[in-house]
Amino acid sequence: MESKRRVRPRDFVLFAVAVFVGILFIYPIYFAFISAFKSNGDILKNPSGFPTSLYVQNYVDLFQQSDFFTAIWHTVVLTVVSEVLIVVIVPMAAYGIERRPGKFTKFCYSFFLAGMMIPFHLYMFTLFKEMKTFHIFGNFIGPIVCYISGSVGFGTLLYCSFLKGIPMDIEEAAQIDGCTPFQTFWKVTFPLLGPCTGSMVILNGLGIWNDYLMPYLVLPSNQAKTITVEIASFVGQYSARWDIVFAGTVISIVPALAIFVAFQKYFVKGITAGAAKG
Amino acid sequence: MAKNSSPAVGKRKHGIDWVALRFIAPALILYVLFIIVPTINSFYYSFTSWDGISPTIHWIGLRNYQEILSSSRFHNALKNTFILTLFVSVLENAIALALALLVDNVRWGKNFFRSFLYIPVLISGIVSGFIWKIMYNYNFGVINNMLMQIGLGNFRQDWLGNTHLTLISIGVVLIWKSAGYYMIIYLASLQSVSTDVLEAAEIDGAGPWQKFRRITLPLISGAFTINFTLSLINGLKVFDQINVMTDGGPGFNSETMVYLLYKVGFNEGRQGFGTAVGVVLLLIIVVLNSIQQKILRSREVQL
Repeated sequence: MESKRRVRPRDFVLFAVAVFVGILFIYPIYFAFISAFKSNGDILKNPSGFPTSLYVQNYVDLFQQSDFFTAIWHTVVLTVVSEVLIVVIVPMAAYGIERRPGKFTKFCYSFFLAGMMIPFHLYMFTLFKEMKTFHIFGNFIGPIVCYISGSVGFGTLLYCSFLKGIPMDIEEAAQIDGCTPFQTFWKVTFPLLGPCTGSMVILNGLGIWNDYLMPYLVLPSNQAKTITVEIASFVGQYSARWDIVFAGTVISIVPALAIFVAFQKYFVKGITAGAAKG
Repeated sequence: MAKNSSPAVGKRKHGIDWVALRFIAPALILYVLFIIVPTINSFYYSFTSWDGISPTIHWIGLRNYQEILSSSRFHNALKNTFILTLFVSVLENAIALALALLVDNVRWGKNFFRSFLYIPVLISGIVSGFIWKIMYNYNFGVINNMLMQIGLGNFRQDWLGNTHLTLISIGVVLIWKSAGYYMIIYLASLQSVSTDVLEAAEIDGAGPWQKFRRITLPLISGAFTINFTLSLINGLKVFDQINVMTDGGPGFNSETMVYLLYKVGFNEGRQGFGTAVGVVLLLIIVVLNSIQQKILRSREVQL
């Protein structure tokens, strides 16, 4: 219907506006990318100019002067391990809540969602004290368990709203065929939750990939922590070498961008499902 | 209807639903252990002079809260938080709605523009803060550079150093970074507005503005309530950009509640006081959230 409409002058105006706004929005990222391939002198002399040659000394310096490989490795481990555990633990809880209606599960739903209101900054001091008691401060277990518990609220919301749309006939059939509730969940329902898991991994994983405060404060300080933490420390440390910081910036952005391009549709679904229930 | 024929048969009316519990237990345990327990502990510690390190903890009653009421540093942080949050939330929503309308009505490349405008959302707070810090730089930044090139050199500013502009400059970065997120929510809501209704209105002689004002706007009011609350709460929690761009400065000009809390807790060894600030923050968030719920519920009744 939309495509049958005649092209009107209005369409060109709107398109021009959209292009202009798009350029405006992308400019800072474009700026980061061109700066990441320029020498420090070029960044200062001609900040908006396109790099004259493919200058990669920034990256050489970045990896030579800092332990950036470790930072990348740490970021990957934190993100991947947390997400794998999250997509096992959270959909299971949502399944219990959604498919076993009762007082207890109703309480769990509100209880989990209420946690979305609690700001991390409120409880971080006591959390760190607690982590020290459990000996999970200064290693990877601490942030990982916190990322999992931090994802329970949003994850329950997302998975429960998705589960409502999955008909229960197949689950019933599996049950009649003698599957236990756990078998039914893992063999029948979990595969059907794929798109929802996609949204969860992408929205939540991005948060972990980009997180600053938790790894900065919790991971051991005698080595590089994560990409974001390293970049933040460069800003102070190499305040005269913007080129190095921009190189790190590009390394931080590219994986997020690649995942986004590959899984765009899940982003949209996840955000709108999350907002639908607020 | 579907709920009665639950496949997980054999649920009880009395006692604990063990099957459900086994499914929920891992999430429940972690959630209680690492969110609820530290939150409850925080309420206790907000009544102490705990420094974060020493094992002895002194109960000082309401002294932290009294200090919050009387401290000019806290008042300043509260003022900064409200200016920043309000500035960001209002503009963020106006811009996100405008972007959503633009993307919804553009004839070519709808999906492309939608994705494009979302890209800033993907970037970490630290990275976005750094990029803009360099762009804002007085001598070498692109913004002043461009102003010079187009002959508006007089408008050059020390964007982060000028105390009248610091919060606004930080706010611009936050708006740029998050507008795409709220745009997606508005867009989903706009696309749920039926074209039949809009066409019927057009036949009845409604102009574009009337159609927007009388049909679209009321129908997206739910998305607006959600977005506005979300952006208020996110605005209250901003940390990364302030950390990398100004560190709360110049002076205390961009010190917000969260930043104050962080500084007194980790730099000044006053975690008891910091926690009390956190409790105030939670109260503000709870109030905002219940206002949102109330508005959403009253709308449901009207519909």
